[in-house]
Amino acid sequence: MRWVVLAVSLLAALLLASRQVVLAQQASEVVSVLRSGTLPISDPFDPVWDTAPAVDVPLGPQATTVPSLLRLSVPTVRVRSLNNGQEIAFLLEWVDETRDDLVVAGDRFRDAAAIQFPVGQKLPNICMGAAGQLVNIWHWKADWQRDIDQGFQELVHQYPNFFKDFYPGGITGSPPYTYPGDFDRAEVRQFEVGWSVGNPFSVPYRPSPIEDLKALGFGSLTHKDRQEVMGRGVWRDGRWRVVFARRLAPPDAESTDLRQEQVPVAFAVWEGSNQEVGARKQLSGFYTVRIEGQERILGIPRGMLGWLVGGLVLTVILGFALRAIRRRTTLRGHARG
Amino acid sequence: MPKVFNWQINREMEYPYPASPPERQFAAVFDINKCIACQTCTLACKQAWTSGRGQEHMFWNNVETKPYGSYPLAWDVRLLEMLGPQTWDGDTYTGKTIFEAAPPGEVAVGFLPEDLDWAHPGLGEDEVYGVVEGGAYFGIPHQLWFFYLQRICNHCTYPACLAACPRRAIYKRREDGIVLIDQTRCRGYRECVRACPYKKVFYNGVTRISEKCIACFPRVEQGLQPFCTVNCIGRIRINGWIHTPDKADPENPVDFLVHIRKVALPLYPQFGLQVNIYYIPPIHVPPKFLRQMFGPRVERAIETYRNAPNDPELRGVLMLMGATERWVDKFRVQGDYVYGYDAKGNELVRVPLKEPIYLRPVYDRQFAVYRHNIT
Repeated sequence: MRWVVLAVSLLAALLLASRQVVLAQQASEVVSVLRSGTLPISDPFDPVWDTAPAVDVPLGPQATTVPSLLRLSVPTVRVRSLNNGQEIAFLLEWVDETRDDLVVAGDRFRDAAAIQFPVGQKLPNICMGAAGQLVNIWHWKADWQRDIDQGFQELVHQYPNFFKDFYPGGITGSPPYTYPGDFDRAEVRQFEVGWSVGNPFSVPYRPSPIEDLKALGFGSLTHKDRQEVMGRGVWRDGRWRVVFARRLAPPDAESTDLRQEQVPVAFAVWEGSNQEVGARKQLSGFYTVRIEGQERILGIPRGMLGWLVGGLVLTVILGFALRAIRRRTTLRGHARG
Repeated sequence: MPKVFNWQINREMEYPYPASPPERQFAAVFDINKCIACQTCTLACKQAWTSGRGQEHMFWNNVETKPYGSYPLAWDVRLLEMLGPQTWDGDTYTGKTIFEAAPPGEVAVGFLPEDLDWAHPGLGEDEVYGVVEGGAYFGIPHQLWFFYLQRICNHCTYPACLAACPRRAIYKRREDGIVLIDQTRCRGYRECVRACPYKKVFYNGVTRISEKCIACFPRVEQGLQPFCTVNCIGRIRINGWIHTPDKADPENPVDFLVHIRKVALPLYPQFGLQVNIYYIPPIHVPPKFLRQMFGPRVERAIETYRNAPNDPELRGVLMLMGATERWVDKFRVQGDYVYGYDAKGNELVRVPLKEPIYLRPVYDRQFAVYRHNIT
């Protein structure tokens, strides 16, 4: 009996200890450093990024829902953040020996990374949100990045000797045809169904490598009507560095308002070479991003306070100056009269 | 996991969603014995639906030679190997379906074909099973055999593609049971390509999402049979609305072939999808090979088919195949003719059970030539 009690208490202690480890992880935070001027959005290797503290966020394989990831391929992602009081940028960096940015072949999958924030509420129960618990997800895709850097990638980029002499639908021009140019007519596009219906994966013109999404639970991930997240990813020496950036103010009701001191945040990474896609991914628990300059003093963000006080002082000075000028003009008028 | 009843394996089975049968179910019967692999069906489909950029490797309809042909490469033998040896007890399948045998973290047993696996649609064409020995001569029954297998999406009752899509971007239409991929919601994860045991979902590398056979639904909605059916020069195909065995309608041509005469069988029923494309098995192939493909009823089906000359109704339905491009809801055999009707009872087509034969003299007096063909 004594042994049983001992074993049970030992087990309980172990459980508690493991729980504490989890709690300690959850207590970690990413600090978004406030700095003036433009943010290094288009260059993930800009030395300015070194001024932001780096947090190594551990990732675990997604195993809550099927399909799940059985083999972890990216154990950590390094996160940094900067903001200038108007915009915020995150830098995600992880080790990936293989650059997977071409998904034309049916057995190739992209490298990707995502940042998730809850919308409205403090902390969603589970990843991808739940009914009534909207989340906002920013999803960067290596192939979309390549589309932007090198032009839309299609058959000739996967199979350099590809040739086809005819396409139906009244295609004009002569082979070899160029995509999307020669195909951008409604009759010809009929066969590019994804493009015809405006699927963001299929439309061969990319405004950003990052897709702005919303979700209300597993399987509900949806492309938002408004797309305002910008950024850039660069692969160099066996690692990806990807910048995600947006205004702090939400562009719509489905986006997270980042004009807050603390916002819950989670990260996910996909390794294309391991055929990771969709639910087959590694992800973090919820972290907190502490956004410098958004601390509230009398309900006003600190970053705004400087501007507010400055503005106030300026207004007072201007007011005095105006009064002085007006008085002088009045005096002159009196003198003339 | 919910349980659903699959009559093709004669038992309940596990499926990620509860049963939700459509109002009616698209189905077809293909008579393997009449196919000559001319690929007119394949081209009719290709011309209609998959001529775009990114669809070059796609054949929503294909015809492959068995036992050596396969498109994509080894789609069937690879899955059979993954599933391992399984058992039937009479008409009841006692082995595991692809859902029941799913490994941890997956919806079904399956695999994603490699890129080049799609590059050999004509592999193994006309290759016979066995070796031609010295001194062999042609005789009946054939010493060596092969046969053609015509394949489109099975528009399954329990589709694996639908079950595997984590986004629920694949749906089964309530009005006709046709399985479609929502082209606005698909994100190209290829879970459907991985899960479909028949490998009838295709990834389009240009639109970066997946596509599949749509059963020519714009035609079906107008009371027309799909292009692959109506363009078949061998007249091996017929479409219809299929019922479950307990509600089989003996005047419905597909029900008649599948449930009444039981001459048409599902392809790999043991996978557990309750498919809706049925095959009349080839009568010249060893039953041992056919049992693995079409289940335990295959020998009875061949026996029934061989008896067709003495079975006017069976002959009638076989004659209706390819006789009209309209959708035949009912048929009736009267006298020497078979009649096909639409849902309102209007006569669509009338075909003689036995085609009249006209014999002409060998010598043509008018042109002073001898005829090679006198019938």
